[in-house]
Amino acid sequence: MNNIQKNRLKDQIFKVWGIGCTLFALILLAFFIGDILIDGIMRIDWDFIIDLPSRKPEKSGIYTALMGSIWILFLTTIIAFPIGVAAGVYLEEYSKKNRLSAILEINISNLAGVPSIIYGLLGLEVFVRIMGLGASVLAGSLTLSLLILPIIIVATREAIKAVPKSIKDASYALGASKWQTIWNQVLPASSGGILTGVILALSRAVGETAPLIVVGALAYVPFAPESPMDEFSVLPIQIFNWISRPQHGFIENAAAAIIILLLITFVMNGVAVYFRNKWQKKLK
Amino acid sequence: MANAQYQRDLLNESGAEMLAICTSQLEKAKDAFLNHDSDLAEEVILNEIRVNALDLRIEKSCEKFLALYNPVAIDLRFIMAIRKINFDLERIADHACSISKYVVEIDEKIPPHLFEALQFQTMFDTLEKMLGKTTEAYEKKDVKLARKVFKKDKIIDKINADSFAVLETEIKKDNNIISEALLLFSVIKKMERVGDLIKNIAEEIIFYIDAEVLKHKKKK
Amino acid sequence: METVIEQVPLDKVIDPSLKKKAKIEVKDVKVWYDDFNAIKGIDMDIKPNTVTAFIGPSGCGKSTFLRLFNRMNDYVEGFKMEGKIKVSGDDIYKKKVNVEELRKEIGMVFQKPNPFPKSIFDNVAYGLKIQGITDKQLIEERVVDCLKQVALWDEVKDDLNKSAMALSGGQQQRLCIARTLAVQPSIILMDEPTSALDPISTAKVEELIFKLKEKYTIVIVTHNMQQASRISDYTAFFYLGELIEYGKTKTIFTNPEKQQTENYITGRFG
Repeated sequence: MNNIQKNRLKDQIFKVWGIGCTLFALILLAFFIGDILIDGIMRIDWDFIIDLPSRKPEKSGIYTALMGSIWILFLTTIIAFPIGVAAGVYLEEYSKKNRLSAILEINISNLAGVPSIIYGLLGLEVFVRIMGLGASVLAGSLTLSLLILPIIIVATREAIKAVPKSIKDASYALGASKWQTIWNQVLPASSGGILTGVILALSRAVGETAPLIVVGALAYVPFAPESPMDEFSVLPIQIFNWISRPQHGFIENAAAAIIILLLITFVMNGVAVYFRNKWQKKLK
Repeated sequence: MANAQYQRDLLNESGAEMLAICTSQLEKAKDAFLNHDSDLAEEVILNEIRVNALDLRIEKSCEKFLALYNPVAIDLRFIMAIRKINFDLERIADHACSISKYVVEIDEKIPPHLFEALQFQTMFDTLEKMLGKTTEAYEKKDVKLARKVFKKDKIIDKINADSFAVLETEIKKDNNIISEALLLFSVIKKMERVGDLIKNIAEEIIFYIDAEVLKHKKKK
Repeated sequence: METVIEQVPLDKVIDPSLKKKAKIEVKDVKVWYDDFNAIKGIDMDIKPNTVTAFIGPSGCGKSTFLRLFNRMNDYVEGFKMEGKIKVSGDDIYKKKVNVEELRKEIGMVFQKPNPFPKSIFDNVAYGLKIQGITDKQLIEERVVDCLKQVALWDEVKDDLNKSAMALSGGQQQRLCIARTLAVQPSIILMDEPTSALDPISTAKVEELIFKLKEKYTIVIVTHNMQQASRISDYTAFFYLGELIEYGKTKTIFTNPEKQQTENYITGRFG
């Protein structure tokens, strides 16, 4: 067999291998979702969403957990988004490019990989105990903000890096200051990328369980939070709690709750993808 | 720019070729005229075709060079100069040709004493020297050599200025030579023009090399 | 902060030719990027209302030298400058100089057209917006006037809200010029403005430069010698960070003083 034929064969093998792997992953996912759907779809109705949790599975609903998740999402957004974007802008645009900043860059990327339970322990000590916030929604949001901050910072930096230097040059050449250039040109141009990063980070936060458990999100909470200082629970914790109960009805509940959680995650990711596509088109 | 350089060198050679041909035409015309050699004269007349062909070729090459290579500075001056030099050389060859025609058309030999009185030999020799110097200046791109031509032209001018009085005297001595005298007068005028043309060529060479315009100026 | 050049009040649409005639004086200027000596001591005077072309082989320093005038080199790591550059009599590298004010007086057009990813209107209005001008009528008048100056008005007047990215390369470059004109500079710097354009767009931009000469002082870096000879009044030839020759364009291209200049413009090197 000569070289051309060898190369063609390699091509084919790689193609088949790639398709195979992809199909494998997709089939597994389909299995999982299918299984969940079978178990839980019948359980979902308006009552399920409104009911508070109870001892009887038929009467248990996700209301408190859902509200808790929404509170957490909301608070985490307003804490992490401005801080993360501002930090990203500062690091990319203002800080001098020297050894210190290089070390900083590496460490921020590392932080994104730290196991989330570590953040939970940090949050427990600093927010719950030292700052005296107790096991509140605020403490949970602050903890999750710390968790997703590195992701937002990295996403912001990447988005800003993608803005062509020629745009900034043009802005400076017209007499704009650094801040004016950032506010009027760099941020609008990178907004799609930043938004994508933020939404992806938040959709991760929505699914976090371990750090919130450590911080003290209770498993049995008969009320929805009404202020940031209230105690709370979130969907993943509720799911975890239901799965560990023996009654079969709770398994159904858990499956139904998982479907709701998946829906939230898929919608957020979908929105992120939409914005990313729109952003890439604009920059061309 | 290798192509432009190559074309420019070709043009340079064509210029040298034109100088050589016209010099030889003038020499042959001189010999034919002084020795009443009609065979040599025929040669000159026939060669005119070659001269004209080369003239057209150089013209066309200049046009092509200007259109294709956008010459500036010394290259541009070279094209401008060589066009004019070519034009002047063609006129010189023309004069050589018409002198040769006289030799062919007229049967009688011209009395040698007339040649002497009018300093024909000196005149022709000076013209040859001028052309020689100009050719050398062109080949060596030497401005000093070119300038030497101007002085020599004064000799031609003097011979031309004297010719009227000389001929008057000769005619008074012998009436029969009137037709020869008129012919000689016409040839001297042509030679004076040739001297001027050679001077022009020298001016063009100086313009091309030094960018100095000597046209219409008093020369030292 | 001390303003560099006396600013005519911007709340009036003013004919730039009424402003001070801006000239540039350069005295013994040297530039280093870390250890690399990019510019080795240059003196030059740029006369008002002329087009001056900077020519020279790649890497000879002409773009660096151009960017000294609006201090765009300040953003390059390791940049260091010595000597004096005066614009209309004021030293622009003095510590107290407000760089943003300087750039309103000296505009720049870049090699690759770089319109903002915004509408045509917003592109031209940007320079006014960042100065804090809010008078809608003034802004509109200025935008229309500038688009007319660059002969783009007829092509875009139907929809000024269209994205600038939808224009052709030549149109984008003219838009960038209009954007620069909007802040009413007295000097316009152009760094190879047509090298990314097709011949017809190039011709349009050159025609525009010729028109602009009446009101502005223009300095243009170009790789294209025929362009330099076509549109400039003065030409400066740079080589390896030095100014080899600077004079009237017609002299440089018919009989330059330095052999090096002649070798470059006749294509014998570079």
